[in-house]
Amino acid sequence: MSARIRGIFDDAGVRGWLHAVSLDDPETTVEHDADVVVPLASVYKLPLLAGFCRLVDEGALDPRERVTLEPAERTAGPTGLSVFADPVTVSLRDLALSMATVSDNASADALLDIVGLRRLAGILESFGLRHTWVRRGTAGNLRDLQRRTGADNADAALAVLADNDRTDPAGVYEAANGSAASARDLTFLLRRLWAGELLSAGQTEFVKATMHRQIFLHRLASGFPHDGVRVAGKTGTFGALRHEAGVVTLPGGAAFAIAVLTLAARGDLRQPRVDAAIGEAARVAVDLLR
Amino acid sequence: MLTERHLQIFIALAEEQHFGDAARVVGITQPPLSQGLRRLEALVGAKLFERGAGQVELTPAGAALLPYARRALTSIEELHQAAVARDPEGPEIRLGLAPEVPPSAGAAVAAACGAVIPGSRVTVVTAPTSSLVNQVGTGRLTLAAVQHPAVLDGLEAGPVSLLPTWALVPASTVHDEVVALRQLKGLPVAVRPRAEAPAARDLFLDTLALHRPDGGTVVVTDERAGLAMAAAGQAIVVTADPALIAPGVARHRLADDPLPLRLRLVWSRTRTPFLRPNDVMAQLTEALAA
Repeated sequence: MSARIRGIFDDAGVRGWLHAVSLDDPETTVEHDADVVVPLASVYKLPLLAGFCRLVDEGALDPRERVTLEPAERTAGPTGLSVFADPVTVSLRDLALSMATVSDNASADALLDIVGLRRLAGILESFGLRHTWVRRGTAGNLRDLQRRTGADNADAALAVLADNDRTDPAGVYEAANGSAASARDLTFLLRRLWAGELLSAGQTEFVKATMHRQIFLHRLASGFPHDGVRVAGKTGTFGALRHEAGVVTLPGGAAFAIAVLTLAARGDLRQPRVDAAIGEAARVAVDLLR
Repeated sequence: MLTERHLQIFIALAEEQHFGDAARVVGITQPPLSQGLRRLEALVGAKLFERGAGQVELTPAGAALLPYARRALTSIEELHQAAVARDPEGPEIRLGLAPEVPPSAGAAVAAACGAVIPGSRVTVVTAPTSSLVNQVGTGRLTLAAVQHPAVLDGLEAGPVSLLPTWALVPASTVHDEVVALRQLKGLPVAVRPRAEAPAARDLFLDTLALHRPDGGTVVVTDERAGLAMAAAGQAIVVTADPALIAPGVARHRLADDPLPLRLRLVWSRTRTPFLRPNDVMAQLTEALAA
């Protein structure tokens, strides 16, 4: 059954990794190299969201606490506070919301600073995640990319990755160098979140509602062109990496956690075939699990 | 016991100053690299590197011992080379060429294989990029010249070589020596089946559609068929082969070379018979693009 998934990835010109599991029956899975640890790009915001909510549950963080982010200290990015011109004062839970719904890099790095890498690592371990590492945020990714490309700004560094006439600098897509996880670990996290095993009822609801509000519909959701199917997810895009991890709920209530991670052969910033292939692979996986 | 691997780790770490990068150079993962370094330090009875966050630096003892390690590794490599030179059979180099590789370029790479590894026996096969990548991955081929971009999945790859292409059109279609793609109206462009190299073919088709909104494409099995269709007034051939021609067909340079043939040499990190694969591949890449 993995052959069909493999065929979709081959046709789209990507190396792909997939894990899909029925929430009601964790023994039933569809897998394609699901244990390979892959760099997460912005999918790291999903374990960060879960870690933040755990700290709220523990009383270590107040979700209503406000922070002010100055333009100069905000991480660059295409959405959210990253593109704002002026200082922004925002609550921690709204940082989490912006981070997860529009993949706001500035909000995510601010929240990662507050949560802390070490504290987050401890929480992820307590969640039972053995192949998930949040080692740095987007600012760290961009700094590393600039170092490896020798470019003097983030846009120039990303342009190197987008150029089909040039070789990618060594190590850019190596899991050991940044935040990374296996597809199986991502669906394990989603499954436990959806089952309410990791967070209070209130924070569990916050995670689900936030992930359902994600605005990007071109990947997982593109495989389910029916309004009766609900898709909650978190995408990740960095250079040739294109991912999404999420939960698909069918009209009858049957739900499936799916992680589709891809590395495209082409460097182009826009690759609609790859986005669609992620949706197609997810749909095929769900059909196999139904 | 001090081994060749210990010396490789020592020198790679001194040069890369980064555990992940050094591991890649040696061709192993980070845990065995760290373990190898600890063994080496125990064997020589001195700490060789200061370990910081991600970065490593030579200690004074490390700097003093580094030249000896370099000399020792060079001697070992010379021993290997002397042994290879004495082997009456010589190493076998199985070279794969994608069908898009111009015959003269393929011949140059094969000839360079023989020159770079004296006494080697070179065998050559032609197969589509997707097949060549698989064959290199499984060890059936030593190396291959494939189309870029392609999913390489763990294979080593050299730089991208850009070969200029010509348009072969039915005679008297256009009269300029250099033509814009837009000028080549009315006839389909002959392309090989997409499954042979999906990412490279999509990049070609997307670029073609950008420059030439109409005219379409026709799938052909090879350049022989494409050339025959051009002679029959039925198709345009885009080729990197500087010698391909037939009566009734005119060769034109394409303005700004919008559709270069992108080629890369690929090989397996673990299966290469070359002692210094990067040096060998650099020379072969030169032959490919010459």
